[in-house]
Amino acid sequence: MARERTHGEEFARPLRRLLVTLLVLAFVALTLAWRIDNPRVERLRARVVDEVVPRLDWAMAPVTAAVGIAQDFRSYQRLRDQNRDLRRELRQVSAWREAALRLEQENAKLRDLNNVSLDPQLTFITGTVMADSGSPFRQSVLLNVGQRDGITDGWPTMDDLGLVGRVSGVGRRTARVILLTDTSSRIPVTIQPSGQRAILAGDNTLYPLLDFLEDRDAVRPGDRVVTSGDGGLFPADLLVGRVAEGTDGRLRLRLAADYERLEFVRVLRSPLVESIEDVGGLIVPAGGVPRRDPALVQGPPPPPLAATASADPATPTEVAGD
Amino acid sequence: MTDPDRSLWIARLGYAGLALVLLAAPLLPLSTVPRPFATPDILLAVTLAWAARRPDTLPVAMVAATFLLADFLFQRPPGLFAALVIVATEGLRRRSARLRRGPFLAEWVAVGVAMAVVLLGHRLGLAALMTPRAPLGLTLIQVIMTIAAYPIVALLAHVALGLRRPAQGEVDTLGHRL
Repeated sequence: MARERTHGEEFARPLRRLLVTLLVLAFVALTLAWRIDNPRVERLRARVVDEVVPRLDWAMAPVTAAVGIAQDFRSYQRLRDQNRDLRRELRQVSAWREAALRLEQENAKLRDLNNVSLDPQLTFITGTVMADSGSPFRQSVLLNVGQRDGITDGWPTMDDLGLVGRVSGVGRRTARVILLTDTSSRIPVTIQPSGQRAILAGDNTLYPLLDFLEDRDAVRPGDRVVTSGDGGLFPADLLVGRVAEGTDGRLRLRLAADYERLEFVRVLRSPLVESIEDVGGLIVPAGGVPRRDPALVQGPPPPPLAATASADPATPTEVAGD
Repeated sequence: MTDPDRSLWIARLGYAGLALVLLAAPLLPLSTVPRPFATPDILLAVTLAWAARRPDTLPVAMVAATFLLADFLFQRPPGLFAALVIVATEGLRRRSARLRRGPFLAEWVAVGVAMAVVLLGHRLGLAALMTPRAPLGLTLIQVIMTIAAYPIVALLAHVALGLRRPAQGEVDTLGHRL
């Protein structure tokens, strides 16, 4: 009577093997499709994430909150030291506050004289961080705002201080933000006060690299780094962080945004959006590379047409890939 | 519904529930700082433990669905990792009858080889597709940590979920050998 149940009936075995082979082949085909037509499969991914993660939220939110409380509780043990540090900081800050108020008044006066109005185009939507990337190899977060809130691919995101990342992948009620620390993140930045341009390249560490610097000697640790607005990627003058020198002597960036605890993130409604819709658009935009008025562009003259399209380092060519 | 059917479904639902928890756990937004080390892939370890010990309660469709979802959620190229896991579980499934006669060490070696095949095969696949990869060190750390975590996962599954290797000659209520 004893039969191998796992091996089943005689006729079922080859059939099962055939089905498993077909399944594996279908999965490999899906991977190839992802490689060939990345934007379409990434949209599919955004839809799947959009369906699944908000449903898990009822279970994930309490666990996250509980761990947060435990971490807060641990910090209570250092309360006395913290209190002393905060008092000292407060003294410094009140001095700064005086200076800031004075400058603000001066600024307002000057604006009034020049009749300047602040850029009304940069409004923002605030979202809550819902989920992590789930992989040690990817640095991204999932926000609880999406298409229905008007989020568009490519918009910059900030916390209350500095740049956090770039929206990449929008579902109906979720949006994924690729953090500046991700290996596929490339952001054009300007270093103040020297005005040097550079590319901020994430490399899966907390301190992204400053790459493609023209003159390294003009940059010192502690310099302020803001977005440059090059390539129409981000609006200019968003604070990113401060220059720091790594142990290997390379220039890195200490991010202004608090990556330890990302909770609320602002998505800026940027008028400059470069979206990737289909495969062709990845290499050359449908209408060719947009010509900008040379009078408006500062810096070196643009390279010839074909070269800008294929070698633009600011365009992330991969949306995902472990 | 007969009794063996019910226990079979309980084991299947047990795997599905555990897989769901293991899918959600890494998504918790506890820390968004890049870590210098990689954590073991517990979902892979659990699935391979199931495949080596009770393959009769692990339908291929469930493995496929779980890992395809994992690929989508964890920003991996969809399909590649899932295909490798199916190949690995099928290999263990075929060998499971022999594995349960041998010592635990033999099972550990077989599962460890399967883990290395999946994780390094995934990396090779990414290389073949010319996609950006994580640093090699991180992948190797993950392989070693996952293999090292297997005995703990197997022990916990044995104690908490009753996922044990069927004894030789053990039969279900219909008299089929397990």
